[in-house]
Amino acid sequence: MALKLKLKSFIGSKQESVQTPIEETVTDILTIGAAVTKNKVEIKPVNPHEEQEIIDGIEENYYDNESFDTSLHELQKLPEQLDADQITEDCLRLRNQLQAVSKRVSELILQNHLAYATELQQVMDLQRTLQAAGLVCQTGRKHLSHARKSFTVASLGLLSNYRKRQQLIGLLKSLRTIKTLQRTDLRLREMMEEEDYCGAIHLCQECQKAASTFKHYKCISELSSKLQDTLEMIEEQLDVALSKTCSHFDHQHYSKVQQAYRQLGKTQMAIDQLLMHFTSAIHNTAFTIILGYVELTSASSGAANFQKRQYDDLCKHITTETFTPCLVDLCKAMWEIMKSYFKTISWHALNDQDSCDGDSEIFHQRYVGTKLDHGRSRIWEDVQQRVKKFVLATDLSGFKFDEFIYILDIINRMIEVGEEFCASKSEGLQDTLKLQSLNYFKTHHQIRLDELRMFLENEAWEMCPVRSNFNILHLVEFRFMRKWANSRHMIPENELTTEDKCESLTTDQESKSYFSCYLEEGNPFDKQFEEEEKEDVFSALLETDGELLSDSDSDVAEDLKKDYIDEITGEAHSYKHKRRSSSRTILHKQTPLITNTTLNVLRVMGKYLQMISILKPIAFDVLSSLTQLFDYYLYTVFSFFAPDASSHNEQAVNPRLLNTLQRIRDNLLTNSSVMYVPNKKDPDASTDKVATAKMSSVVQLSDPKSLFGLAERVVATESLLFLAKQLDYLQPYLEELIPITKKTFLSQFYSQTVKMAVEVRVPVYGVVSGLSVSYESVLQQMSTVRWDVKEIMSQHNTYIDQLLKCFSDLRKKLEEVDKRVPLPKVVINLFWEQCVKNANRTFVEGFANAKKCSNGGRALMQLDFQQFLTKLDQIIELRPIPDKEFVEAYIKAYYLPESQLETWINDHKEYSSKQLLALVNSVDHLSRKSRQKLTNIIEETDKGRRL
Amino acid sequence: MSESYEFLFKFLVIGSAGAGKSCILHQFIENKFKQDSNHTIGVEFGSKVVNVGGKAVKLQIWDTAGQERFRSVTRSYYRGAAGALLVYDITSRETYNALTNWLTDARTLASPNIVIVLVGNKKDLEAEREVTFMEASRFAQENELMFLETSALTGENVEETFLKCARSILTKIESGELDPERMGSGIQYGDALRRMHRQEKLQPRTSRPDCAC
Ligand SMILES: Nc1nc2c(ncn2[C@@H]2O[C@H](COP(=O)(O)OP(=O)(O)OP(=O)(O)O)[C@@H](O)[C@H]2O)c(=O)[nH]1
Ligand SMILES: [Mg+2]
Repeated sequence: MALKLKLKSFIGSKQESVQTPIEETVTDILTIGAAVTKNKVEIKPVNPHEEQEIIDGIEENYYDNESFDTSLHELQKLPEQLDADQITEDCLRLRNQLQAVSKRVSELILQNHLAYATELQQVMDLQRTLQAAGLVCQTGRKHLSHARKSFTVASLGLLSNYRKRQQLIGLLKSLRTIKTLQRTDLRLREMMEEEDYCGAIHLCQECQKAASTFKHYKCISELSSKLQDTLEMIEEQLDVALSKTCSHFDHQHYSKVQQAYRQLGKTQMAIDQLLMHFTSAIHNTAFTIILGYVELTSASSGAANFQKRQYDDLCKHITTETFTPCLVDLCKAMWEIMKSYFKTISWHALNDQDSCDGDSEIFHQRYVGTKLDHGRSRIWEDVQQRVKKFVLATDLSGFKFDEFIYILDIINRMIEVGEEFCASKSEGLQDTLKLQSLNYFKTHHQIRLDELRMFLENEAWEMCPVRSNFNILHLVEFRFMRKWANSRHMIPENELTTEDKCESLTTDQESKSYFSCYLEEGNPFDKQFEEEEKEDVFSALLETDGELLSDSDSDVAEDLKKDYIDEITGEAHSYKHKRRSSSRTILHKQTPLITNTTLNVLRVMGKYLQMISILKPIAFDVLSSLTQLFDYYLYTVFSFFAPDASSHNEQAVNPRLLNTLQRIRDNLLTNSSVMYVPNKKDPDASTDKVATAKMSSVVQLSDPKSLFGLAERVVATESLLFLAKQLDYLQPYLEELIPITKKTFLSQFYSQTVKMAVEVRVPVYGVVSGLSVSYESVLQQMSTVRWDVKEIMSQHNTYIDQLLKCFSDLRKKLEEVDKRVPLPKVVINLFWEQCVKNANRTFVEGFANAKKCSNGGRALMQLDFQQFLTKLDQIIELRPIPDKEFVEAYIKAYYLPESQLETWINDHKEYSSKQLLALVNSVDHLSRKSRQKLTNIIEETDKGRRL
Repeated sequence: MSESYEFLFKFLVIGSAGAGKSCILHQFIENKFKQDSNHTIGVEFGSKVVNVGGKAVKLQIWDTAGQERFRSVTRSYYRGAAGALLVYDITSRETYNALTNWLTDARTLASPNIVIVLVGNKKDLEAEREVTFMEASRFAQENELMFLETSALTGENVEETFLKCARSILTKIESGELDPERMGSGIQYGDALRRMHRQEKLQPRTSRPDCAC
């Protein structure tokens, strides 16, 4: 600023005058180079000293810096008041100084020029060499790059690529394996479907091994966990497969499964599992079967959810119609399970021996063996429980007999299966059997008793024609006994059927075990069908039975048949009569007199016995019921045909029979005669009791023309005896059936009841013989006879003729009856015996009625009696005449001397006191004293008798 | 089993041997055909409770033997029958021809009010038929019988026959034509009815002390 100002002021003052020089100066200063060269020429060489001085005089500042602004420096040096001289002087000095410097510089340049030139030359050379080097370098590089391009890159790439390839191939392999591994899952599933468990497990284990070698791959961890899952799934599948064994054992299948378990090292576990499966199979199967039936029958009634019910509860919903098929199905299914178990055991027994190596293996087997062995009873227990609960849940008492028998048979079969399966006594089922049987039997028996009453009340006591040699074995109901009877030679050889003969052969087969018979096919509970087949055999046999039972048209007893035709058509009797006498004798012995009711009782007894043979536990109950059937029959026959026999005419009835009748009345009969009504509310009250039967109004017992129903009486009484005879026949069989402790019951039954049956004849026929002859009127006539006649009469009295007429009429009537019912000889004899005894008693009574008697009278008595005996001989066949002594002795006692009479009276208590007194009184050769004595004796005895 | 019922009817099954009487009864009671049935000996018995017009009726059925030699035994059962099935075999004219005899027997021996159904059995054997439906129908009409053809083998009309007979009896009771309390009517009151009856008798008619039931 200051400079500017200075310059301005300077310029301003000297504007015109100094203009040019300044310009010059400035230019000079600014162009030193030019000035130097210019000054060189102009300046004249000066003395060197001088020069030195000038150069030394140069201000220090000029050396300072290249950037030193010399002009500015000089200008600044200028004082405020510019002085032209001063400036000129300065200029000069400065010019000198410049000259000196330029000169010095030029000298220095000159001095160093050569060096410069050499140096320049060297530089040039260097430059040239450098250029050559650059060229070499360039070509070298060019070659190098070529070499690199054409050789190194390719081969090294090749090498590295090769290496990469190798690696990739390795990877690919692994990946392939992994892929396969992943695919195995599918294959495993396939194998499972093919049931190749062993293969599947093997494969799975292989895969796991493989997977573990690849575990460095990320995807593998997932895969191996999946494989683990698969393995578990296989085990589950295997378990399912194992469970299939329960319902159906398949040898191949089970072998596969077992092998698979062995591979897994889980054979022990498999057995435990298997036992569990069996248990649940039993439970589930039983439940399913019953549920099926319950749902079937309750489909219409309400949609109750049975699925959730308990087994016991469910069983209660089984209807009576479905009970039997359901039981059969249940047993069949249970059998299948047990059979599978049985086969499982057999499999192990067979296969475990083969593969016996190593101690642990033996230990395993022992484990398996004991487990399976213990399992038997457990399984049977389960099965038994299922069946028991099922059977007990239904009241079987309303079932048909045959169906019930069938049910019992099934249960018994089940018990036998159990016995064979694990030697079980099957208490559960036995109890069930006993309980249900007793319950059923009580009801059944009650119905049978009632039915028997109904039969008796409808019974007309007509003879039911059957073959002469008929016995119980001819009835279907007793067919089962033929074997027994045959073994005791109780069947006549000519009646043996072919079946009887091969019976012994078939028994062996029957005792064959269930597990050997039905192991491969069939089912022991399938028998329903077989049973029907058996029925056929039965029926084929029945054809002959029918003939045996009642004579078929072409049979031997042609006569018998003719009789019937005769009766209807009323054919000539005279001709027949002759034939009769010949055929009759045979018929008397042969034709059993039985009634429809008798047949029914026998059939019921047969069914009872069948029941016993199936039902040992209630054998005694059944047997005692069986005896009741006979009791009732006996009681009814007696009460129908000899109702008053017990009240009067006491000596005619065996007192033991009366005891028996009393016992029956007390034990078997209800008090009221009202028709029996089954009372469900109070079943015990009416158990084993039955109302007394009322005789059918068809039966007429008061008509003298029919001999007071003698035909009916005979049929009834003889049918009772026929029953008794059949029971006698059965006695040894029954004795085998019941426990020893109950033997007394049976022997009592036989001695007190069966044996007493024959005693029924006397009162029943006695009624007829008492009613059919009017002994009263004979007595009446006798009282008109005079017994004190003096002479010996040659003519008997007419009452004898009348009695004999009565007897011969009776005989005719008997023959009439005999046409309807062949009267057995015993009956005819008994009948006549009673008549004659009655007659004899009448005679004695009549003789005793004589107020007075003479010797002649006594002779007349003898004559009368003799006449009676002689004529009687022609009427009846009975020999000897009963009680003949009774009459004769009474007549002859008259002649005894006094001394003997006393002993005679003491010896003959069969006469009444009245008769004895009459005798004593009529004897006219007695002294009064002795007569009194004898009278006293008689009266004493009479008193003793009454006491 | 104790079954309660209102009435008990006594029934008879009669007709010639081999007509299929036992098979009909068996089919009725067991719902099964009795293969290879044998000749009945004397009389056999069966009972069943049926529902007739809403009433439980117990049928007490006597199956009689058709063979001649059993006539005397079977005749005694006619007495007091409320209903009868008179059976012949449509494949055997012989059995048809015997009908008149059977009918006479039934009409004379049984109660006069007996309801009889004529039954032509073995309907299944159409090919062997010897008696036409028309002919038998006419016979039935002439003799005032109901008529049905049955097959014990297939079960056709078997139950209907019994029901028809029972229904007819029941109608007669309701109309008063039949008096169940008359002796030999072949009808009895069942458990339930008897009790009711007894009360009925005790209350309005106490004047009759000699009630016999
Ligand atoms: N095809 C066929 N056969 C029958 C029918 N009913 C019965 N039978 C056969 O006829 C035969 C006689 O039958 P039963 O029932 O025994 O005859 P029934 O009338 O009882 O004979 P008796 O007892 O002797 O009076 C048997 O062989 C039966 O198989 C039927 O409806 N159709
Ligand atoms: Mg029959």
